[in-house]
Amino acid sequence: MLSPFLEMYRLHFAKTIAYMLQATEYQVGAYLKWLWRVKDFSQVARRKDLVKTRRASVLLSVVRAGMLGQFLAALIWGVVAIKRKDPAGLFAIDLLVSIPIVWSHLIVVPLVFARWLYVNPLSGFQVQRAEKIFIDHPAVKIAVAGSYGKTTMKEILLTVLGEGKKVAATPANKNVAISHAQFAKNLDGDEEVLIIEYGEGAPGDVVRFTENTHPNIGIITGLAPAHLDKYKTLQRAGEDIFSLADYLKNKNVYVNGECQAALPFVKRTHQSYSQRQAAGWKISEIKISLKGLSFTMKKDSKTLQLKSDLLGAHQVGPLAIAAVLADSFGLSKEGIETGVAKIKPFEHRMQPREIGGAWIIDDTYNGNIEGMYAGLKLLQALPAKRKIYVTPGLVDQGKDSSAIHRRLGEAVARAQPDLVVLMRHSVTDEIVDGIKAKNYKGQLVIEEDPLNFYMHLDQFVAAGDLVLLQNDWPDNYK
Amino acid sequence: MKTVAVIFGGRSTEHDVSIITALASVIKPLELSKQYKVEAVYIAKDGSWYWDDKLKDIKPYQSGEIEDFMHRAPKVHLLFDKGLTLVKSSQFAGRKMYRKIDVVFPAMHGTHGEDGELMGLLEMANVPYVGCDFRASAVAMDKVLAKQVAGASGVESNPWVWFYSRQFSKTPQTVLKQIKDLKYPLFVKPAHTGSSIGISRVEKVGELMNALEVAAHYDDKIIVEQGVQNLIEATLPIMGNDDPIPALLERPLTKPEDFFDFDTKYMQGGKKGKGSAKAGAQGYSELPAQLPKELCKKAEQIGLDVYRVLGCSGIARIDLLIDSKTGKVFFNEVNPLPGGLYAHNWRRAGISNVDLVSKLVSLAEERWQAKQKLTTSFSTNYLKQF
Repeated sequence: MLSPFLEMYRLHFAKTIAYMLQATEYQVGAYLKWLWRVKDFSQVARRKDLVKTRRASVLLSVVRAGMLGQFLAALIWGVVAIKRKDPAGLFAIDLLVSIPIVWSHLIVVPLVFARWLYVNPLSGFQVQRAEKIFIDHPAVKIAVAGSYGKTTMKEILLTVLGEGKKVAATPANKNVAISHAQFAKNLDGDEEVLIIEYGEGAPGDVVRFTENTHPNIGIITGLAPAHLDKYKTLQRAGEDIFSLADYLKNKNVYVNGECQAALPFVKRTHQSYSQRQAAGWKISEIKISLKGLSFTMKKDSKTLQLKSDLLGAHQVGPLAIAAVLADSFGLSKEGIETGVAKIKPFEHRMQPREIGGAWIIDDTYNGNIEGMYAGLKLLQALPAKRKIYVTPGLVDQGKDSSAIHRRLGEAVARAQPDLVVLMRHSVTDEIVDGIKAKNYKGQLVIEEDPLNFYMHLDQFVAAGDLVLLQNDWPDNYK
Repeated sequence: MKTVAVIFGGRSTEHDVSIITALASVIKPLELSKQYKVEAVYIAKDGSWYWDDKLKDIKPYQSGEIEDFMHRAPKVHLLFDKGLTLVKSSQFAGRKMYRKIDVVFPAMHGTHGEDGELMGLLEMANVPYVGCDFRASAVAMDKVLAKQVAGASGVESNPWVWFYSRQFSKTPQTVLKQIKDLKYPLFVKPAHTGSSIGISRVEKVGELMNALEVAAHYDDKIIVEQGVQNLIEATLPIMGNDDPIPALLERPLTKPEDFFDFDTKYMQGGKKGKGSAKAGAQGYSELPAQLPKELCKKAEQIGLDVYRVLGCSGIARIDLLIDSKTGKVFFNEVNPLPGGLYAHNWRRAGISNVDLVSKLVSLAEERWQAKQKLTTSFSTNYLKQF
């Protein structure tokens, strides 16, 4: 096997560069940080591989062509120099040796130019055009913002409201301005409800989203440390997310009442939702199992008996507020109950799966501490012969990362799984500290090769086991 | 970290099944457990031994590259020096590579491996090894001996007769006379093969000679069994030394009229003609068997009784035949190293593949340690007096 250094000189290196660019969403800063941190390029693409999109293919071709060009230049220079017995021939070696270093850096130049000269102006134009579409559109526009739970909330609304209204929602986790613009472009014009997910990433994002999409209703799913590389503090992230409420003049704003971090931002006119109530509706008889959950909602003479395949008591609040909105839009009791029953667990978000009698809860798209706590509560509550908890920890937790991961460790110990498997990363020690601080009595395993573990999970589990997999660590984080 | 040598392949008709057992059900989970360094030791069909990390991959066996490998690779020698050491030439400068083995995990099926021969070798080396010891393996793999031993302890089998293949060749009429008293359908089996190889279901007299010839082709000892009426087949994997624990009673889902041969069992996922090859040996059964509780208990007890009286240890699988009308449970045969360790059944019983192989290694060490306490030699004046 080639040493880590020589990995750069393999033909595959060009593809590795393209993969790194794609994995960092072509963000030059993030790409360069990652590039300079890598010690062994054979270990870069561990979880995924390059997806051959048009942009990725063009970049890959540019890198390959550049590398080949430099190689040929070095060859010609060397041959000529040898013929002339010119000591400058040594430069040919420099040219050869520097190929991967030069092209892994040079490739960002066309990216930067393309962004300045083409992508940004075009996006600006598309976003402007979309704003007009949103203003003119007669539908009720519901904006969903928050550090976590946005996509789930959006999907719940789409399914429940879809039982009686023509509803459109931003697709998958496409939640930034350009995605909103593309969504607007594809609208039919006769939708009754539009659901727009706001994917905040830096201060001012949510303000811009509201100015472009002009929502009538706002749902804030929660506040937790995320994107703190840009926000720096949770306060600033909260201010940005709650600028949705400011836009709505604090009316028609629904906030997740179970999120402690959001409470300082909540105004008297905001309505909250939780496992106890949702905008004045009382919630009772909550039952959870691996098959899903059920609960009852009551307000005045109205009663709703809701059942869903979603897992975990933390889903009660979002389901309840969707039911409340559906009721306010005039959907029938049957329609609401049918809509809630139709909701299936979303991929990699508390998604249960059975393997030979063992239950695996795939929550690997969960990337926030509140979601981690919710999953751990579920693990603790559900019966099983043996409980296994698996996580690598969280990324983008900012300067509080150590404290957050220590608290995560404490929460893991409180959930009392029989086995804890931590995927080795930069935050592992902090999680272990938290686990040990709470005198965890079970078995603790540090896994050095996460991919191998996930690939062979079936070998580790047996009937009666309950496994919770939370978060997956992208390749570009250490 | 302890070193476990997984030995597989062998001069047996079940050579290929053994490769799958070793690679998928033993080596992979042992490595995933991260408790052991695993050495793959492959015995070719000609009996040569090879030891290499490349042998852990299924591809060389599937593509035929294994033949090239065997031409190039040095063969393995065994050194019995306070245990077992694998030795192979480095092919350069006359150097040799040595690997001291802490535990051996035989993943062999059928003759020259599962029948006690390999276990005898490992006993000589005084190295802990997984599964039944050589005595239990030899008895278990001889369907005649197993029935005789179980029968002597009061465990009932359906009527059967046995004879040597040479008796059949020399005096077939005597053999046929012996079989005459059994009621059809009959099952003609080589006494020592597993994985249903060489077995025939015989519906009428006219088919008998051919079935006997097939069985004689595979073995020097033949057993002919009377079919059980209202048959329910059941099988029970068991694990342990002194305190064995059963997995789940499993019921093959073939109809009595369907013959369950090697092809059906391993190549068609247990469903003749329409099964998926992917399902393998585990795709054909009802697990756990949907039988009345009392009947399950009875079958489980008989399985445990057989395991004990045959002296099994580590792991084995007991096959039973049940008359669904009378509720009678008959002992059929023992498999001292079930294909794939019957890991699918253990998994359903709550033991993961990784835990299964780890437990089996622990059981091997436990048995070996107990054995070290026995006195096997002592000093005498005999030589001086000679």
